Amino acid sequence: MKKWVGTEDLCALWVGLFFFTASLGAIAGIDLLGWAASTQVWIDVRRAIKPVSPAYSEVPAVAALALTYLLSLAAMTAGAVALGMNLKKFALGFSLIFWSSYFCWFLGNCAYIAATPDKLGAFRISWSLRLTGEAGFILALLAGLVLGNFFPRAVSFLQEATRPEWYIKTAIVILGASLGVQAAGAKGLATAILFRGLAAIVEAYLIYWALVYLVARKFFKFSREWAAPLASGISICGVSAAIATGAAIRARPVVPVMVSSLVVIFAVFELILLPFAAQAFLHQEPMVAGAWMGLAVKTDGAAVASGAITDALIRSRALAASGVQYKEGWILMTATTVKVFIDVFIGVWAFILALVWVYAIEKRRHDTVSAGEIWRRFPKFVIGYFLTFLALLLLIIADPGALDAAKLAAAESGIFRVLFFVMTFFTIGLTSNFRKLWEEGIGRLALVYVVCLFGFIIWIGLAISWLFFHGIKPPAV
Amino acid sequence: MTKISDELQKVPYEPLLPAEKKLIVWSLVLGTLLMGLLIWVSYRFFPGL
Repeated sequence: MKKWVGTEDLCALWVGLFFFTASLGAIAGIDLLGWAASTQVWIDVRRAIKPVSPAYSEVPAVAALALTYLLSLAAMTAGAVALGMNLKKFALGFSLIFWSSYFCWFLGNCAYIAATPDKLGAFRISWSLRLTGEAGFILALLAGLVLGNFFPRAVSFLQEATRPEWYIKTAIVILGASLGVQAAGAKGLATAILFRGLAAIVEAYLIYWALVYLVARKFFKFSREWAAPLASGISICGVSAAIATGAAIRARPVVPVMVSSLVVIFAVFELILLPFAAQAFLHQEPMVAGAWMGLAVKTDGAAVASGAITDALIRSRALAASGVQYKEGWILMTATTVKVFIDVFIGVWAFILALVWVYAIEKRRHDTVSAGEIWRRFPKFVIGYFLTFLALLLLIIADPGALDAAKLAAAESGIFRVLFFVMTFFTIGLTSNFRKLWEEGIGRLALVYVVCLFGFIIWIGLAISWLFFHGIKPPAV
Repeated sequence: MTKISDELQKVPYEPLLPAEKKLIVWSLVLGTLLMGLLIWVSYRFFPGL
């Protein structure tokens, strides 16, 4: 049993598939999740929340929200049972994180913060920050950062449920469904994103890793034990890559743990800065911006989250600047696709490094490296992402008449996906304790990180994204 | 808990081994060569239109 559910990765797969499967009722004519609470951009609080499906329009907003919370709590608590957590602590922590995150999401949807220029008239307001509802993500991150850095007792109380990687992986599994629905309407574009995303990350692996490793070893004089996890953490995919590489080269556990702490902190800076940079400079190349988020921002949570913000910011900017209204989700799809391919290849890269270390660097004669390591390190939630993506894509191709029902199904599971996104932002903030890292004397590691990240990783990532994605545009509404 | 600064001070200097140099060079060369091929395949077979 433990083999099937014993890790956060597998729990994310099953919980994500649970929401996806439940949403399929809308296609089969049994609307199981139609009552889920959809939060609209609002000026009148009473009209902010409504059930996602018209079939449940009679359900009061408060009941819809309460049911949404209860189903999320039930699904995640089942996962917590499988993971052997302290259930009381988890349920309490999850509830507080859920409601704090939701409050931020609700606030972020206030028309004065979120309304795009074309909607100002409808809300009868003369100005807005034009950040779209995704401003709620930023608010959740800031709220989490405040708690994480100034209220350590609160962080300790919420610790059992502070699991950004679990939340984002669950969200990514669910996300596959809505991307599958979109891809059905533009199969050529979706195929191009998949192939080019794969090509981009092959490039990123080969170029990024080698350069960071060289800088860390030659210019900062790090040992191999520190340089390899650092190169993987900075250049590839943050925490997972640092840990996989640490294990592959048999580094002491303290090494990937320290590197991971650094990665999480810097991911917060990237998450705050890069989407706005993309909005300012890449609004005419939306897919380049999406791929850039996937390549440059480390950790699954921060990368996909920055893809979501970039999606909203660029669509808003393109509409204001040139009157083009791109369909929602394509920029996010590009960021997510790049990121999940990176995750897939972590196992392959760790395997290659293990071979190099065992046979060429340390020359351990009696050790062998098994190809099974690749499967063991394969992120299983990625299977869920492709499964939900292909399921809806193939269903619509087989029966084009099911398109509207499939859109409703994706919208229903999407309610929970957004909530997991917001909780990811909030808990990323909670886990980012700047003061603690500073006290530990992080200077030299941080310097390598800054030099590599801002010196060339961001720019090479941008160049690779541009090479593979320039000129490709999301479909217009 | 171990301080990062303490850990790093214990790190001895290790010169780059030939195997590491090969890993870096091969990785960069392969990356550069593959870039041309993958860009060509992308634009030839996956135009994204």
